[in-house]
Amino acid sequence: MKPSSLETTDATGLGRRKFLKGAALAGAATIGAATAAVARVEGVEKQEAVKGAPIPQKELGNTGVKVSALGLGGFHLGVPRDAKETDQIVGEALDAGVNFFDNAWEYHKGESEMRLGAALKGKRDEVILMTKVCTHGRGRNVAMGMLEDSLRRLQTDHLDVWQIHEVVYFNDPDLIFAPGGAAEALAEAKKQGKVRWIGFTGHKDPAIHLKMLESGFPFDTVQMPLNCCDGTFRSFEKQVLPVALQRGIAVLGMKSLGGSGELVTSGTITPAEGLRYAMSLPVATTISGIDSLDVLHQNLEIARGFQPMKEDEMEALREKVRSVAADGRYEKFKTTKFYDGDVGREQHGYPSAKALPL
Amino acid sequence: MPAIPLKSFGNTGVKISALGMGGHHLGSASDEKTAMQIVKEAIDGGITFFDNCWEYHRGKAENWMGKALKGSRDQIFLMTKVCTHGRDGSLALQMLHESLNRLQTDHLDLWQIHGVTFDNDPELFIRKGGAAEALEKAKKDGKVRFVGFTGHKDPAIHLKMIETGFPFDSVQMPLNPFDANFHSFEKLVLPELQKRGIAALGMKPLTGKAEPLQKNILTVKEMLRYAMSLPVATTITGMEKLDVLRQNLKIAQEFEPLPAAEMEALRTRCQKLAADGRFEHYKVSLQFDNPEARLAHHFPIDPEQMEVKEMLKEATNTGKPYPELPT
Repeated sequence: MKPSSLETTDATGLGRRKFLKGAALAGAATIGAATAAVARVEGVEKQEAVKGAPIPQKELGNTGVKVSALGLGGFHLGVPRDAKETDQIVGEALDAGVNFFDNAWEYHKGESEMRLGAALKGKRDEVILMTKVCTHGRGRNVAMGMLEDSLRRLQTDHLDVWQIHEVVYFNDPDLIFAPGGAAEALAEAKKQGKVRWIGFTGHKDPAIHLKMLESGFPFDTVQMPLNCCDGTFRSFEKQVLPVALQRGIAVLGMKSLGGSGELVTSGTITPAEGLRYAMSLPVATTISGIDSLDVLHQNLEIARGFQPMKEDEMEALREKVRSVAADGRYEKFKTTKFYDGDVGREQHGYPSAKALPL
Repeated sequence: MPAIPLKSFGNTGVKISALGMGGHHLGSASDEKTAMQIVKEAIDGGITFFDNCWEYHRGKAENWMGKALKGSRDQIFLMTKVCTHGRDGSLALQMLHESLNRLQTDHLDLWQIHGVTFDNDPELFIRKGGAAEALEKAKKDGKVRFVGFTGHKDPAIHLKMIETGFPFDSVQMPLNPFDANFHSFEKLVLPELQKRGIAALGMKPLTGKAEPLQKNILTVKEMLRYAMSLPVATTITGMEKLDVLRQNLKIAQEFEPLPAAEMEALRTRCQKLAADGRFEHYKVSLQFDNPEARLAHHFPIDPEQMEVKEMLKEATNTGKPYPELPT
C-alpha cells in the first residue's frame, strides 16, 4: 500500500472530527446531569458501588484472559484539548483497574492512537489493547498498512485485539470476505503474531452482524451497541448476542448511553441505569467513551464493586424506555448517518458527514 | 398526439395515467406562472394523476396545484397526503380541511398517510384515536374516495402497515432498478399488493435525486421505463421544469413495457452500486424525511434542509412539533 493513498483517506477523517464537535458538546452537557444522577442513584437505590472496591473482571470469550467489566473508549480519548488530560484519564483508569483499551486507526486522524500509545508507555503489558482497521470494503494490503500505522502510533509490537471497524454497510460482509479482502489480513496478522485475537465492530443493523458471523470466519470478538433501548429496536441483544455466545465469541458492548449520552441528556435514564444495564448482559466488557475526568470518576463509581442487575430489574428498565425506543430516536447510530465516519462514506460512495449529516 | 396509457387503479374500476405528476417538484418550479404552465401541459399531454401533500413547501405545492387545476378538476384524479406522523386522527382531519381549501375542491380522489418511516408508525396509525380513524371518517363523509399510505424507508414497515388489516385502496413506494437490489419494495411489498388487489403507486423512479443519471449509470428513459413496466397503477415523478415534463411526456406517450430480460439486465447493471444504498438515501438516512415527521418522532432536523428553512421562515411557526391549524 502506498502511504500517500492512506494519507488521502486519512484526511477525510477530519470531516468526522469537526462534525462530531456537536457530539462532544452533547457529552459535556451530560456531565452535570450525570453527576447529579449518580448521587440520586446512590441515595435511593443504595447502589452496591463501594469506594475503592475493584472493578470486576470477566472472561474475554475463549481467549483465557480476563478484562475489566468497564473498558475505555478510544474515540473520546482524542477529544480533550490536550494530551495531558488524556494521560490523566488513562492513568486514573489504570489505577482503578480498567485494563481494556479501545481505539481505531481513523479516530481523530490517528491522534487517539498516538495519545493512548504515549499514555500507556511502560504499562503496555498490563492491558488488553484493541484497535480497529478501517478498510471499509478495501482489501488486505490496505489493512496491513493500517496495522503498521496503528502499531507505530500505539508504540507496541503487537495488539491484543484487532477488529474490522464500522461494518455498517449492507455489502460490507461481501467485500470483507471477497478474495484479497480484509478478512485475509486478520488471519495473516494473527499468524504473524502481530495480533493475538481478531474481531469486528459495527453499530447499524443486527442483520449485518449476523451475515458476518454466518461466514464462519473464526472471530474471537465481536463488538456491538448494547443498551436498554436496543432490546426493543433492531436488537443486537436479542439477535446477535446469543449467536456470538453460542460460538464462544467474546462480546464487547458499546453505546450504553446512546452513543453521545442521548439517553441521559433526554432525561430518559440515569448514567448508572444505562451503564449497569449494559454491564449486566453476558458481555466481556462495556466500552464507554470518556472525554473528561468528571465522566471518568462518575463511571468508575458505577463500575467499582459492580453487581449485575437482576432480570426483573432489566425488564423493568426496558419497559420504562419502550415507547421512546420504538422508533430509534436515541439510537441514532442505527437510524441516521450521524455515526458513520467519513472514511467509510468515501469508500461506499456516500456524501461526507458535512453534506449528509443525518 | 399519442396518449399516455391508462391503467387500473387497483380493483376500483377507475383508470389513471401510467405517469403521474409529483407534487413536491411542482412547488419547486421557478415561479407560479411556470407551475401553471406545467400542469396545463401535463393535462394536455395525457397525465391524469396528480400527487401532492399537506406538508410540501408549507402548502405552496397544494395552493399552486389547486389554482392550476381550476376548471380541470373533474378531468383528473387528485391525491394528497396527510402528515400526522403518528399523531392523532383529529389532527389528520384538520389537515384534510386545509388541503381541500388549498386544492380548491370539495373532495379528494385519494388521501394517503404520508411518509410511514419509523418502525412504530404502523402501531401509532392503527391505535385508538390514531390516523386510521380519520381515513375511515373522511371516506364515509364523502370527502375522499380512496385511502392509502406512502413511505420510502423500509419494506418491513410497509408490510406492518398492510398487516394492520386496514382496508387500504393504494400503497405508494419507491420503485426503481436500485430498489430491486436493496431492501426491495419491488420484491417484498409489490407482490403482497397484487395478491390483495391494492393499487401500487410507484415513486422515485430516478431514485429521488436522479444521481444515477448525473453519474451516467442509467438513462432517464431506462429508469422511467423500468418503473412503469412493473405491475403498478402509476409511476409518480417530479417535474419542476417544462423541459423535464416534455421529455417525460414523450417517454410515457411512447411507452411499451420492457421485456423481462431487459428488466433483469437493468437490475444486474446496478447491482453492485445498489448494494450499499448509496443512491437510495431515503432508505438509509434522514435526508428525505420531512421536518414534520422528524419532530413528531423527536429526531433532529437539519438546518440546511430546504423544508426546515421554509419552516423557520413561517411567521406562524410556534416552534412546536407542528404549526397550529385553524379548527
